[in-house]
Amino acid sequence: MPASLLGPYTRTILVAAVLAATLAFALSGARVEVHTSLLPVFEWMETTWFGYIGKTWGAAFATVEAVHLLGLALLGGSVLVAEGRLLGVFLTDTDQGVITARCNRTFNIALATLVATGVFMACGVALKIYYLPVYWYKMLALGGGASFHYLVRQPLVERGPGEVNPWLLKLIAVASIMVWFTVAATGRWIGFSG
Amino acid sequence: MLNEFIYNIAVWLDETRWSTMLHESYYMYNWVESTHVLTLMISLGMLFLIELRMLGLALTDVPASRIAQRLNLPMLVGFSLMIITGILLVYAVPVRSAQSVWLRIKMVLMAGLLINAILFHKKLKAAGTDWDDKPRAPRNLRIGAMLSFGGWAIVVMCGRFIAYDWFDCQYTDSEFIAFVAGCLDDQTRF
Amino acid sequence: MSEREQGEAREKSKLIDEQLAALIAGGSVAVFFIWYWSGQIQSVIELLRLAYG
Repeated sequence: MPASLLGPYTRTILVAAVLAATLAFALSGARVEVHTSLLPVFEWMETTWFGYIGKTWGAAFATVEAVHLLGLALLGGSVLVAEGRLLGVFLTDTDQGVITARCNRTFNIALATLVATGVFMACGVALKIYYLPVYWYKMLALGGGASFHYLVRQPLVERGPGEVNPWLLKLIAVASIMVWFTVAATGRWIGFSG
Repeated sequence: MLNEFIYNIAVWLDETRWSTMLHESYYMYNWVESTHVLTLMISLGMLFLIELRMLGLALTDVPASRIAQRLNLPMLVGFSLMIITGILLVYAVPVRSAQSVWLRIKMVLMAGLLINAILFHKKLKAAGTDWDDKPRAPRNLRIGAMLSFGGWAIVVMCGRFIAYDWFDCQYTDSEFIAFVAGCLDDQTRF
Repeated sequence: MSEREQGEAREKSKLIDEQLAALIAGGSVAVFFIWYWSGQIQSVIELLRLAYG
């Protein structure tokens, strides 16, 4: 496995490298270059069927927005119950592994719904969101949140009871609530901007 | 008669200083609206998990009554925040809201869902705990959960549609919609 | 070192790796959250100060 070339701390090195690359990208001119190069993609998005329907059929767009909100509700419930269990707030008399594993299933469905409806909505207002900084913050939070959830959080919460430092689990839970709150709040703010 | 009463109250609310301040404040109005939307994650998030458990679609190996009991408080906290912010949103734009067909449908549905929730809780208590470890709840509870799930989905849709002006009094030619919306004036004033 | 001991050592180092990665990622999320939201709140305060003095 090529990842094992990095030695015993593969995951740590990869996480640190991704964070360093993100920070370097945000602070360098590459950010502006990439943003400019993405303009044709957003222009193309508006010409797709999704873009056409989103722009011309208000009722369809609004219905998809409502489904997006329903997905958000399910995602919120899954995150709050799972993280609440890690923080020792909810369902403390039920096995932590069972709660986090079952909530992960509903989380997956919710995230898939959010991404599918989100892509449709983005096509309808592609050029508007392209110029909105809050949209890019949302994408950063979404990408970071999904990577955090699947690559960092899941492997730890899937471990048996007592294996992982309980304070670290609490930090993960707080970070997860923070990141999904940011995704939702920045998403809502897209509607107010532009 | 009833429509006139609602309309007069809305006009009176619109003329209050705080209503004007609220809809004129870009940040305050948007914060209130964002809070209203984001508390969906607490209120409906918890409710959906309870209902999915009853339907045998989520958390099936956790006792159903335990899920219903433990998630009830955060769900009610979420709903309280939603109601407070919802009232503030109507207060900020009272005349338009009072004549919104979507808000009216939403209110009627929410009244129905409240009755459904009370009945659901009664049936949940009456059903005992024999079925608690089974993946699916008894049939009557499943029907209640399905009604609630569908009803809240429509409530969210109506809530989203309020922002659109398709059926605003000044645009609609339909007498039926004008009747349901209780149109007495156009909806151009707040 | 026996095969079992080697397996245990590998598992232990994997656990340390996963925990360290989570610590860095979780800490970064928290730092980003505080930076982003304090920036947003600060900009609103400045705007209100400009408007109302």
